[in-house]
Amino acid sequence: MKHLREDIILDARAITRRYPGTIALNRVDFRVYRQQVNVLIGENGAGKSTLMRILAGAENPDEGELWLEGSPIVLRSPRDAAKHGIAIVHQELSVLPNLDLADNIFAGREEVQAKIIVDRKREEQRSMDALRRLRKPMNVHNQAGHLSLGARQVVELARTLDQKAKVLILDEPTSALSNAEAETLFSVIGELKSSGVTIVYISHRLNELLHLGNHFTVLRSGRIVGEAQRAAVTRQWIVERMSGRKDAERAMPHGEFGNGAVLLRIEGLTLAGTADEQMEKAPLRDVSFSVHHGEIVGIYGLLGAGRTELLECIAGRTRPTSGVMLQSDVLLHLKSPADGVKAGIYLVPEDRQRDGLIPELSIRENIALAAANGRFLDRKKETAASRQLVRELNIAATDLELPITALSGGNQQKALIARCLLGSPRVLLLDEPTRGVDVGAKAEIYRILRRLAAQGIGVLFTSSEIEETMELADRALVLCQGSIRAEFRRAEMTDEALFAAASPSAPNVLRSDSGGAFA
Amino acid sequence: MTTAMPSLSQVMRFKATRVRTVLFVLKARAMVVLVALLVLFSYLAPSFFSANNLSILAKHIAISAILAIGMTFVVLTGGIDLSVGSVAGLTGMVAGYFLTQGIVIVGAQHDPPVLICIALSIAIGMFVGLVNGLLVSKAGVAPFIATLGTLYIARGAALLISNGKTFPNLAGHAARGNTGFQALGQTFVAGLPLPVWTMLLLFGIGVTISRKTPFGRHVYAVGGNERAARLAGIPVPAVKIFTYLGSSVCAAIVGLIIASQLEAAHPATGESFELNAIAAVVLGGTSLMGGRGSVSGSLIGACVIGVLADGLVMLGVSEFWQMVIKGTVIVLAVAIDQMQSRVQARFLPLLLQRGERGGAA
Repeated sequence: MKHLREDIILDARAITRRYPGTIALNRVDFRVYRQQVNVLIGENGAGKSTLMRILAGAENPDEGELWLEGSPIVLRSPRDAAKHGIAIVHQELSVLPNLDLADNIFAGREEVQAKIIVDRKREEQRSMDALRRLRKPMNVHNQAGHLSLGARQVVELARTLDQKAKVLILDEPTSALSNAEAETLFSVIGELKSSGVTIVYISHRLNELLHLGNHFTVLRSGRIVGEAQRAAVTRQWIVERMSGRKDAERAMPHGEFGNGAVLLRIEGLTLAGTADEQMEKAPLRDVSFSVHHGEIVGIYGLLGAGRTELLECIAGRTRPTSGVMLQSDVLLHLKSPADGVKAGIYLVPEDRQRDGLIPELSIRENIALAAANGRFLDRKKETAASRQLVRELNIAATDLELPITALSGGNQQKALIARCLLGSPRVLLLDEPTRGVDVGAKAEIYRILRRLAAQGIGVLFTSSEIEETMELADRALVLCQGSIRAEFRRAEMTDEALFAAASPSAPNVLRSDSGGAFA
Repeated sequence: MTTAMPSLSQVMRFKATRVRTVLFVLKARAMVVLVALLVLFSYLAPSFFSANNLSILAKHIAISAILAIGMTFVVLTGGIDLSVGSVAGLTGMVAGYFLTQGIVIVGAQHDPPVLICIALSIAIGMFVGLVNGLLVSKAGVAPFIATLGTLYIARGAALLISNGKTFPNLAGHAARGNTGFQALGQTFVAGLPLPVWTMLLLFGIGVTISRKTPFGRHVYAVGGNERAARLAGIPVPAVKIFTYLGSSVCAAIVGLIIASQLEAAHPATGESFELNAIAAVVLGGTSLMGGRGSVSGSLIGACVIGVLADGLVMLGVSEFWQMVIKGTVIVLAVAIDQMQSRVQARFLPLLLQRGERGGAA
């Protein structure tokens, strides 16, 4: 079926967006078809979220224009976009934790009476209506900061619903949801579509996309590399375009591991979850496993499964409620990350910007940050050691004295790995090792980790991507709601098995073959 | 399995009630402290509750309360305004200048009437607030630094106006048509000093704005999660600018009140007032991280500081010990604030179980 011009409701033409060090979007043409679920697919760092932020007015393109229903529009702010009927539910859910649901749903567009006084009654009424339409009635007086991630998403959806959006952008809406919540979301999407709303849907979960999508667009490294209607799309079609490889087979042969001596043994690790306003922590329940010499262990799980919490416990950043850690039969008592480092346990955190880099410092200073011993800094030694690591890890840095922020995401990540290597790691923990990293650097980081494992270091990483887990791990543990649900050796791993084990409840709509129930 | 054993849900409910009680006391701490101080001082100093003393006390409280009301909005957005004391000093001097020197326009001497003088002084104060707001929201200067800078600039300007001298006799001359300035600080209306009424009026406005208007909600939103607020379409820079403007207007009013009470404008007026205002805000339970707190809390905080200061004076406690005691109270208040957050986070699941409105602000 060929689309007519008039079917295009929103048309992004030749959009270019540059960030320091990288081009996030390179002359991207993105067409959104009326009353369809328009799927945008791409790996992490492909530029999906940037493109969506531009469509939602949260960011401005360096070049290119936007056309809505045949006329050009300029979006300077999210408010502009909302005026044009474009609404977005962001990937990082953006609730105002200190306000209640009704306040959140109407934030920035309050209903007023007598021009200045907030009309709480009407706001509460309309909030309840919107929540009811989403079949998620909640108390509108509850504070948003106390809600689960799934419920926060519902609040954001209610907000867009009340705005009567023409185009609704959902940026990885299910990454934080349990299966039951995801199913609710899918039925809501079906309803919205039939009531005339155009959906733009971003995800890298293939099953979900094949189930929901009508029109598919694939983005890779800031360029559009494929566009097709549902009928022409298969799983292989997507994977090939996303990865840029003809076949999705394993890129590298792996030796058999797991016969080496146990490096680190975790037994009965348990952590009470918290729901603090700033820091939400998923609980961990009785987690036990071990990491062997020279082994790469992957922990696969969805958002909120407790991946980050687990690594933070092991690194000594969070103290578990109970459980023990043994290193070569010696009990470890980690009171702080410094104790972890003393035991040779190093963490490369998930959020580079927040927990990893010191943006004001140079590449050299960032790499040598924790390595300074003795009373004085030795600039010469630092430079020599950093330079060697930069060469070994192939970090694209012309000058070590440039600020770390001049590097691309991939190179920043490698610099953080270099920081760990400057110590003497026995166990290297990586939380989402390739988040926000382009495809080329991704492959390189995998190679680096393999090389480190071959040198006898135990590598433990977490990932929310099946493909990454399958590509990198010698052994995969699947974490779901704080406990380990399954363990796979390399030969046993399949997409379906990993995904099924990671889903909180038995998946039923997420089979890739299910038909057009909401079409 | 005896019937006398309370069921699990009963135990939980009992525990939840106890946690709520503890939380309530922790949250109402400023009020608890205030009542305790009043009881203590009335016992130790019998004349504490005399009408005369209460009137003086109310005037003292009004000064820091007015500053605290404006400051609350700034702090709710996650900012701070250190310039309020200097702004109070500057506006007093500006008013003093116009009242005593008049204005020379194209060679002719004019003596603007009192209301014009007041308006001009407040306008100068607002200008400083505007500068604060622009520095913070447009130039991206940290609020602490931006307002520290304007603290010095405004104080310097106040000294420059008179070359460091005091403007005496602000009562004006009937011949020059500029009498009546002292009414602002010295009149009594229905038995209460006018500054106290001014404070109550500003308090009413502050409470209404913070709780009933979109702007008030935006202030909380910006302090709660600035990024999310921006994505929700809230004009974050404008919200911040308005909070600094409001804080400066309050400071300007304080400056005018003091100048009117003394019938003189002294360039050092208002030194370290900002610290009292911040202390009142923090005592009242407003988080310096923003997003949490209330105008009414700040009023109670100002009362605590005022009662403490005047009570200690009446008891003849040395000025040096007064400072030690005030500091201790402030530090304790913030420590309790932290404790409250921890208790709340820890028992949140328990509190949410029953009564869905259990979530506390």
